[in-house]
Amino acid sequence: MDEKKAAILGEIPRLRRYARSLLRDRDSADDLVQDCLERALVRLDNWQTGESPRRWLFTIMHHLFIDQMRKVNRRGEAAMLPLEAREAQAAPAEQVESIASREIIDALQAISPDRRAALVMVAIEGFSYAEAANILGVPAGTLMSRIARGRDELRGLLDDAARRRAIRIVEK
Amino acid sequence: MTRRDFSERDIHMALDGELPVDERVAYDAWLEASPEMKARSVRYVADRAALRAAFAGVLDEPVPARLQNIVFGEAPVKTTASSSRWWRVAAAAAMLAIGGVGGYVAGIDHLGLEDSAEGQLAEQAIAAHVLYAAEQRHAVEVPASDKDHLQTWLSNRVGLKLVAPDLAAQGFQLVGGRLLPAGESKAAMLLYEDAKGERISLFVTAESVEKTKGTYGSEEDGPEAIYWLDKGYGCAVVGSLPRAQLTAVAKSAYSQLVAGLAS
Repeated sequence: MDEKKAAILGEIPRLRRYARSLLRDRDSADDLVQDCLERALVRLDNWQTGESPRRWLFTIMHHLFIDQMRKVNRRGEAAMLPLEAREAQAAPAEQVESIASREIIDALQAISPDRRAALVMVAIEGFSYAEAANILGVPAGTLMSRIARGRDELRGLLDDAARRRAIRIVEK
Repeated sequence: MTRRDFSERDIHMALDGELPVDERVAYDAWLEASPEMKARSVRYVADRAALRAAFAGVLDEPVPARLQNIVFGEAPVKTTASSSRWWRVAAAAAMLAIGGVGGYVAGIDHLGLEDSAEGQLAEQAIAAHVLYAAEQRHAVEVPASDKDHLQTWLSNRVGLKLVAPDLAAQGFQLVGGRLLPAGESKAAMLLYEDAKGERISLFVTAESVEKTKGTYGSEEDGPEAIYWLDKGYGCAVVGSLPRAQLTAVAKSAYSQLVAGLAS
């Protein structure tokens, strides 16, 4: 197997993690990774020598993700259900999550895809602002404001969830 | 050490490791002096830890075979010197977009191509495929046994130098071809079949579109089309194969078609 393919294989776990944070559902996330890999293999020749495979693959996947989000938005599907509705959806059995994890994953899904991607890219995947801006194809200033708003929104949703939980406990 | 006013923005920068080292001490002092900002910083740090923890397990999961197989299993399309050259040119110029994600496949309209030449080409190609690929006895007008005549006839009628691609490396044999109407002009359809009877078709027109563009059209549950338009011709590969396989077939077919046109 050639070096490029070996490098791509090595990035699959990170791609899966990023996809999971973007889409939550395991199968949908792996579908996204699959499309990303297929596209990457078709475009192997476009991969510049010396370019980080991670950055290259994340860029491809991000474009696929954004395309999908536009599509879903136009169809008016449940891409961004409000948190209340999401809570009604049971997490798949195989995804064992602690309550804290489930809460933050739900909250992450409820913020806008652009902010979600920016936040995850930096906070989970550990890209620098410059790298993340490059991958997402936005100016650094835009990236920063997405991160700031994303964090703020996420925190607000978690506060709301905590409040609702408190209310439910009182009602019992 | 630089002296400046800090703001909430710096909380994010500090958290993300983007605060210049020489500002760090002044930032920490500012944070300590502002309980509100300090509390905010603490919450963000905790949220980030929770986010990381929530997804940490994914890295330890075994990679699904279907993902590995894409990288391992799919052998690179065999390319002759000329076809690989053509493919590279085409890929760069046509920005071939193998689009879509899972069940939310980006359809023909995802680039705003509803009424465009690209969209029409793909829809015509899909319609022809649905109609004729299902035919057992009357799928083609001229069978592969009469390949030379087929190529000459279609080339003359469509107005392009048409060479039926050899897709044996992808497991497909030529069944034959037919002439079809395509908008104002005509199109050649070449039908291929593999050992299991799975069929794909190539749809070629002499569309004289100035722009160079390529994308991918699909209908839910129906066959998919991978198509290109270039100056003077349009071409689509249609089939119900798994995406990667259809892509490999399309790549090979396209490079051979383009090489044939230029020959």
